[in-house]
Amino acid sequence: MIHAKNLNFSIGDFRLRNVDIKVEKGKYFVLLGPAGSGKSIFLECLCGIRRVEKGSIFIDGRIVTNLEPRQRNIGYVPQDYALFKHLSVEDNITFALKVKGQSKSKRNEAAEGIAEVLGIKHLLKRRIAGLSGGEKQRVALGRALVAKPSVLLMDEPVCALDEARRQEICALLRKISDDLNLTVIHVSHNIEEAFSVADGAAIISEGQLQQTGTLNKLLREPANEYVARFMRCNNIFSCKALEPAPRGATKVEFCDGTLVVGSKVNGFAKLMVRPENVEVYNINEGGGGLGINAAEACVLEWRDFGSYVRLQLDGQSSLVAHVSYSTFKRLNLERSSNRVIVRLRPDSFYVFPEIHT
Amino acid sequence: MEYSGYENFLESREEKMLKSVDSPTSGWSSRVFAALTLFFVAVFVTIIAMLIIADILYIDKQAVIEVLKADFVRDSLWVSVWTSFTATAISLLFAIPMGYALSRFRFPGRLLADTIVDLPIVFPPLVAGLTLLVFFSQTFIGSWIEDGLGFEFVFQPKGIVLCQLFVSASFAIRSAKTAFDDVELRGEHVAMTLGCTRWGSFRYVALPLAKNGIIAGGILTWARAFGLFGPLMIFAGTFRGRTEVLSTTIYLELSAGNLEFALAIALLMIFIALISLMIIRAVGGKAQIL
Repeated sequence: MIHAKNLNFSIGDFRLRNVDIKVEKGKYFVLLGPAGSGKSIFLECLCGIRRVEKGSIFIDGRIVTNLEPRQRNIGYVPQDYALFKHLSVEDNITFALKVKGQSKSKRNEAAEGIAEVLGIKHLLKRRIAGLSGGEKQRVALGRALVAKPSVLLMDEPVCALDEARRQEICALLRKISDDLNLTVIHVSHNIEEAFSVADGAAIISEGQLQQTGTLNKLLREPANEYVARFMRCNNIFSCKALEPAPRGATKVEFCDGTLVVGSKVNGFAKLMVRPENVEVYNINEGGGGLGINAAEACVLEWRDFGSYVRLQLDGQSSLVAHVSYSTFKRLNLERSSNRVIVRLRPDSFYVFPEIHT
Repeated sequence: MEYSGYENFLESREEKMLKSVDSPTSGWSSRVFAALTLFFVAVFVTIIAMLIIADILYIDKQAVIEVLKADFVRDSLWVSVWTSFTATAISLLFAIPMGYALSRFRFPGRLLADTIVDLPIVFPPLVAGLTLLVFFSQTFIGSWIEDGLGFEFVFQPKGIVLCQLFVSASFAIRSAKTAFDDVELRGEHVAMTLGCTRWGSFRYVALPLAKNGIIAGGILTWARAFGLFGPLMIFAGTFRGRTEVLSTTIYLELSAGNLEFALAIALLMIFIALISLMIIRAVGGKAQIL
């Protein structure tokens, strides 16, 4: 278990402010944020490379805030791996054991064991210079794991790898965490990467935590606009509650029209609709007609991302929709006038907790 | 294994593509560029080689044999060798911690300290000798070191080492600093998370990675110390068998009009320098700076 309690740290103009993250034993946690948000600095504070100004760090119930990095029992994999180029793969992996004074035979045994798990046994005698990015990543991981750390801290561990390697390494990381019951904090800017490994996650921006929770919660119940936009939802609107509607819904004023939102809204509010929840119909097929929360819109732009097609819509408000390729084909956009019908189901709205008056 | 095989295949393919595009051995623009750079190498090496060959052609064998047999040449050779290697060793002893400190730590007066380190490089050599002489003969501290502590430097073999140290240590310090600058601090941080103390991370990570640069600095220092002349004349003098080094012997022989003798000693110096540099390079591995 690792608990970073109200950590504060500053360097130059940048400040890490009251960052509070707790990861239970054996859980895999991903800290998300854009470049320059303070993710790496936070990790370095946990390692002990940087001394925190305020706050505490607990590892397995032991307070380690003022301990040296070597006394914290952590494994650290930095973004560029920082492998020791003057040593072989085997000597890199067994570095921690050599420092602890273990015999050569024990070190060799440990190196072979961990290399077997990571699939790099054939590389043990090689120099670092000739390794590929994926191989270097595995060596760095082996080096961090060999001393059996309580917590593994990884800074963008797969960002330098291609998509196939990324998936492969993420699966390996998750498996290692599960097999060893190892607590992991993994720093990343990539949402897909987080979804492939995380039990829990947090989003940080400008040194401040925006939200902590499961990825599902960050995706569908964001604490604020920043989190929603980071989780790739730009369908955010301001509205004003007009009157209650049946079944706990609320009729709200939106641009020049009205919408029915499936939950209670008070006064002024901000709404979010995830792009995958926006329903788009061919203008000739209708969508049950221009019923509740439905309107005509124009498709300004579309782009095929393989697993979905992104539509940029312009109607009463600018809107982004993600539809399947079969739905996109049905819209027949290239032959028609790019006019479609858009429908927002009342239960697809999420009302932000902050209320702007 | 499959994964590694595929990745190796990709890498070797990429390597081949790179070679076909950027290798200096293919493509006319690359060839012209390579030829241009090699032209300068060839011109410089040819000039130096011609100068040495001219010396070799000028002297006769008899002078070389006499030089090799002369006791005072053997004495000055020995003094040159032991003093230059001692000065290099002491320089490196200072250079490694100083290079590390200047590279890694920020402290008040760092810029000034960094500049002072380079100062002896731009000192005219005679000024360096004069400065040392004034310090040890005219100042209270200098006199106290010489008379009070009994460490005599002026006109003593120890003075040669001090002179060489003063003039050439800057090369070792500068090279060590540059070498440590090139070592990623992150590696040391990782070593600290793997159980190292600060000293351990320096010993096991920073020092081995900076090794080539430090060796290169050592070579420069030794070369400078071995060939030093001006300051030695002023501070250590030229007492035959005691403070005479090869460079001062050449000067004395020239002053006496023995040109062939002086040239033979000069060739001996060049030969020793060549052999020493080659041995240091071979033992120390690839030098990055030189």
